[in-house]
Amino acid sequence: MDATTVIAVICSAIVLAGWLVLPHSATTTVKVAAVVSEERERTPVSVSA
Amino acid sequence: MSAGDFRGLGPLPPWVQSSDNPSMKIDSGDTAWVLASAALVMLMTPALGFFYGGLVRRKNVLSTIMHSFFILCLISVQWVLWGYSLAFGPDKFHLIGGLEWVGLNNVGFTPNADYAPTIPHQAYMVFQMMFAVITPALISGAFAERQRFKAFVLFSLLWATFVYDPIAHWVWGAGGWLHNLGALDFAGGTVVHISSGVSALVAALVLGRRLGFGKEKVEPHDATMTVLGACLLWFGWFGFNAGSAVAAGSLATSAFVVTNTATAMAALTWMTVSWYHKRQPSVLGAAAGAVAGLVAITPASGFVNVMGAIVIGFGAGVFCYLAIQLRERIHVDDALDVWAVHGIGGTWGALATGLFATVAINSTAANGLFYGNPKQVLYQLAAIGASWAWAAGGTFVILKIVNIFVPLRVQEDEELLGLDISQHGEPAYAL
Repeated sequence: MDATTVIAVICSAIVLAGWLVLPHSATTTVKVAAVVSEERERTPVSVSA
Repeated sequence: MSAGDFRGLGPLPPWVQSSDNPSMKIDSGDTAWVLASAALVMLMTPALGFFYGGLVRRKNVLSTIMHSFFILCLISVQWVLWGYSLAFGPDKFHLIGGLEWVGLNNVGFTPNADYAPTIPHQAYMVFQMMFAVITPALISGAFAERQRFKAFVLFSLLWATFVYDPIAHWVWGAGGWLHNLGALDFAGGTVVHISSGVSALVAALVLGRRLGFGKEKVEPHDATMTVLGACLLWFGWFGFNAGSAVAAGSLATSAFVVTNTATAMAALTWMTVSWYHKRQPSVLGAAAGAVAGLVAITPASGFVNVMGAIVIGFGAGVFCYLAIQLRERIHVDDALDVWAVHGIGGTWGALATGLFATVAINSTAANGLFYGNPKQVLYQLAAIGASWAWAAGGTFVILKIVNIFVPLRVQEDEELLGLDISQHGEPAYAL
């Protein structure tokens, strides 16, 4: 096994091992704007006779 | 293996001249591959437009895409008129090509022994044209959202002529001094990426920061567009690197494989580093990492094996990510991180070529440090230093000259309005 292969294996191991210690999910919460359906957004129109 | 199966430098490097087909007979397979590769590389420029376009605010997306599209048109004409002659024409003082090939005079369909003995000379010319096209387009990411279009036009034309063409001649042209020195650059680490990346840094410094830079958050307006652009860049890059073998053979195959490997490794590494640093696996980070890997493997793609490609990809993911952190810390508004990805990625790739090149891949090139040839690192450092210096100095002078005739930046109200409207009179979206 030559030096390049050894370094490549180490690099790959670092990346793979890194995943073991990384957080499972994003720690920053993003506020998602409330989804308003088109129907609710529409202003009711009253029709008088 | 055919005669054209090796390429790293022109004049057709010894590894081509000593191959088994010295008769300069046109090979249909090689010609088809190089023409297809030229088309692949052509696609990279609009892909870059999408990659950059997604990263800017929606008021500037059209102008950003226009930079790439316009340069495709501009340099296509510049290249056939005088660009190819300056870059690849008969050598003058080891610094520049002569004017003998202006207007493609003497550039016909007979193969040129110095560059590609198995394909028509014009096929090689048009393949190289696409490299000349994308290089100034890369710089446009640095001054996105604030450069006046007219200044951009003048700058691009002058930069292609006085920065790109000379460096291309030094490294790839017949008789170029870096080629004669023995520096290796298979597909453009110095010529394309260091030149554009360093020029981008200078352009960002000369133009100054965008309004509100550092005070308000500038979010990419369409991450999906950026990821699509990155994917198309990855696709086109197979033509960039594997096409640089200028033949359809084993070297092209090797370049294809190492290009894909380094790109994937860089994306994985960047994503992991950013995950650790920012606590989330960024999609845009993975895309940027892939591009960094593509950049870094470019100069090495005809000289390293797949293990070398993994190391190069890993280095690209780490070094380019760190370069962005440095750029942010010193408050330089290189808007789309061209310096960090292309300047640093290209520098790492050029240096890594001197570390991991092996004659087991390219028997007539040279070994690198890890294969018993420490001198190759010095040659690579010379090429890196020369490219940095010429690109930085040339870009600074050109920007100052252009600024005499046309202000480089748009006015404040134009910048606030957005360049799509203020420069082109067209909104990107009618939604």
